[in-house]
Amino acid sequence: MPFFPEYEIKKQVMDLHMGDKVHYCYQCGRCDDVCPVTKLVGADRYSPRSLVMLGLLGLTHVLLVDTPKNQFALWGCQTCDLCDEICPNDIVLTDIFNILKNASIKQQLAPEAYQQQAKMVMETGYSVPLQDAIARRRDKMELPELPKADLTEIQKILKITNFDKKIGYEAPKEEN
Amino acid sequence: MTTNEEFLVFPGCMIGNRLPYLEKSARLVFEKLGLKPKESSFSCCPDPIGIQGSDHTTWLSLGARNLSLAEAENKNIVSLCNGCTQTLTVVNHELKHSEQKRNKINKILKEVGKEFKGTIDVSHFLTYLLHEVGVDAIKKKVVKPLTGLKVACHTGCHYMRPTEIMGVEENHESPQNLRKVVTATGATVVDWDEEHLCCGYAIERADPDVSYARLKGKLDSAIKGGADIIVAICPTCFSHMDNNQRNLTKKYETEYKTPVLYLTEILALAMGFSSDEIGLKNHRSKGDLKERFGGE
Repeated sequence: MPFFPEYEIKKQVMDLHMGDKVHYCYQCGRCDDVCPVTKLVGADRYSPRSLVMLGLLGLTHVLLVDTPKNQFALWGCQTCDLCDEICPNDIVLTDIFNILKNASIKQQLAPEAYQQQAKMVMETGYSVPLQDAIARRRDKMELPELPKADLTEIQKILKITNFDKKIGYEAPKEEN
Repeated sequence: MTTNEEFLVFPGCMIGNRLPYLEKSARLVFEKLGLKPKESSFSCCPDPIGIQGSDHTTWLSLGARNLSLAEAENKNIVSLCNGCTQTLTVVNHELKHSEQKRNKINKILKEVGKEFKGTIDVSHFLTYLLHEVGVDAIKKKVVKPLTGLKVACHTGCHYMRPTEIMGVEENHESPQNLRKVVTATGATVVDWDEEHLCCGYAIERADPDVSYARLKGKLDSAIKGGADIIVAICPTCFSHMDNNQRNLTKKYETEYKTPVLYLTEILALAMGFSSDEIGLKNHRSKGDLKERFGGE
């Protein structure tokens, strides 16, 4: 297997607000010890300790390959933050995982449901938009209408952050 | 300066757009406690798992936009959802502590006429109850004490972790805040090994089997602890635990039917509201809810 570090990802990991703490990961494995997912599936399938190492070295090519095994190796993280709490070097592991997840999304390697959620936010401003059935239930329960978010404003922000390109979004075709 | 007398409630899209019966109970509890929260045109917080995982800059920008709406009204945000609480608290923290990030995000917000200033605070309604309302004031409103009801408290990860930023003064391995409020209803809080662990929702999208195995661990632990019901303070944890017990029953060929109540549901019941008033019939894992609390 080629051994080329992904320097951009390595740089992002090094630039995290943890400063130089991140250099001091000595792979003690306390993160793996407390991770409820590792406990269930074994460190072969999901290991925070391995993810830190891969992120630090920029060796993300072994991770960002489209196989179900690799997908779970990253998205098996529940962001429960238990590893962040236990790390003896105060490394915020979850922040590293988010950098890796962002890279995975960009390469369209994340579980489909994440892209769907991102599309939903682009189109409605919400991860869970209001559906007719729920609107009727709200009426029945005499709940007032909730204020709506300004979608034009939100879409303008998403345009600037290039969210559409990052998540591989294709806008529904408009008729002219 | 902001005051906590008037706050902006951040219900989050799960409560407003999927679980309106939880909102109903919350509104009744607000009224009973004399709280008059205002609303604002917030968007998705956005989700600390999915959207932060998709693009950190977008997550910061939309979070900062929501915060700027509250700043414009000079009101603190009180959220009913752990996910929203964590996103808004962490975005607030990251932008307050990094001039570089703040400038970057404000350049984006400027395009829509907004600015993040860092002048308000964010908390979960549980924290608000403890610090601004107080356990004694809650006790005074309890007219139907839930004596004998054994409760497993599920605080949920994003309320308290990362502890350094969330600042809720909890030992994240042995959270007490929810226990204090539940105890005020007259119910008995039970000890269980997995109280501080994730409900499993966050990996449902990556592998449902592992997610349900995680949920099974939680439920087995709560049952072993002698719980009649589980109380959650997060609509997503609530939904995951309430919806998926039937999947566990199928998958593991053991019946799972422990009712799950949301924080303001158990409070509303203890404050004398009926099961029908708060739409308890909408729950999926009903167990003995009807025998205990009546209703349709």
